[in-house]
Amino acid sequence: MENTFDTIIGLNVVLKGNLHNKGSIQVNGTIEGEVKSDENINVGETAQIKGPVSAKSIEVSGEIRGLIEASEKLEINPTGRIYGDINAKSLVIKQGATFVGKSIMPSSEMPKVEEKPPVEKENKEKVEDKLGFFSKR
Amino acid sequence: MYYYIFDIRKCKKRAQVEDIKNYLLSLGISGEYTYPSSAQTIDELIDVGLSKQFNTIVGIGGDEIANAIAGKLCGRTEAMGIIPLEVSPDLSALIGAKNWREGCENLRFRKIQEIRIGKTANNHAFITNVNLDIKSPLEVTIEFKDFLVQAKVANLTISNFSLDLPKLNENFLDITMSSINPKESLLHSIGSMLGLKNENKGLSLIRARSLRIFTKYQTPLLCGEYSIAKTPQLLEISDEKIRLIIARKGQTFWGTQ
Repeated sequence: MENTFDTIIGLNVVLKGNLHNKGSIQVNGTIEGEVKSDENINVGETAQIKGPVSAKSIEVSGEIRGLIEASEKLEINPTGRIYGDINAKSLVIKQGATFVGKSIMPSSEMPKVEEKPPVEKENKEKVEDKLGFFSKR
Repeated sequence: MYYYIFDIRKCKKRAQVEDIKNYLLSLGISGEYTYPSSAQTIDELIDVGLSKQFNTIVGIGGDEIANAIAGKLCGRTEAMGIIPLEVSPDLSALIGAKNWREGCENLRFRKIQEIRIGKTANNHAFITNVNLDIKSPLEVTIEFKDFLVQAKVANLTISNFSLDLPKLNENFLDITMSSINPKESLLHSIGSMLGLKNENKGLSLIRARSLRIFTKYQTPLLCGEYSIAKTPQLLEISDEKIRLIIARKGQTFWGTQ
């Protein structure tokens, strides 16, 4: 992940509210609210986020309690702790990481299940007639 | 055409006043000279210059006079010049003049750059940056449009322009703070951190159009060595721009000229 950050929330800083940013965000402090970026979010070891997090790419070394949506990649490092659901196109969970929640991949990536065409009503009646059951009078 | 406001306090010796005047005369850009005093403040002198319809107001002095002129000319068509005498390194870099001679030469070529400035609720302006005057770590609450930030800070700077911190967006102020005093200057530490692995976890950087600063006790906001406001205070980037005369050849800090 690129380390050029537009916004940096340092250690011992508490941010309350919604942080929306076009550029990348580095979090080392505490955030109570939504964090959203058009680029990358790096959640450092000392970081704690209570709220939804969404970005193109997210790297987690700290703690997140909330829904995580990564349109490209989500990486959870050994010190990372996630308590919430994940929606990511690509997911990397390293040994030692904590993840409590559901993981959902985008629906476009799901294999399609072929559905059988419904039996037509007329054909169904013909079959019934041949068998001699429930014939119309 | 040129209206000069001379801050004599910044002159090292009396002869320097005449030296500057003679040099401007030799460049063919002499004009009306005024001097702030207890009878007429800098703001009043600027108003006089504008009422006389001068199209260029030039401050000869430091950051204080430059900021005062910037505040008055924001959104106006009159150009602003600075002949630096003991200005901050940031302002010196912005205008591209290290000394008064270079400042005079800039005026002759009259290359204009339109820039936004920082403003406080009490109508003070700052071209470069302001610092919260902190003696020891202080609890600070900063209110932004969509969120608020609480921290114990040892250093807090609101920057419109700095040599050390590249400006990503001219429409935003850069708010930098640190929980402990960095070895180097705060802006330098943040600037060197961008593009590198973040080693100092105590540093913060937030970009915003406006912010409101609250502290437990009234704390001055310093622009260089002088105080422009006290907390609680609203600071914001100006909607309108000033037309600042800069060096003909030099670095461009804000977008297109």
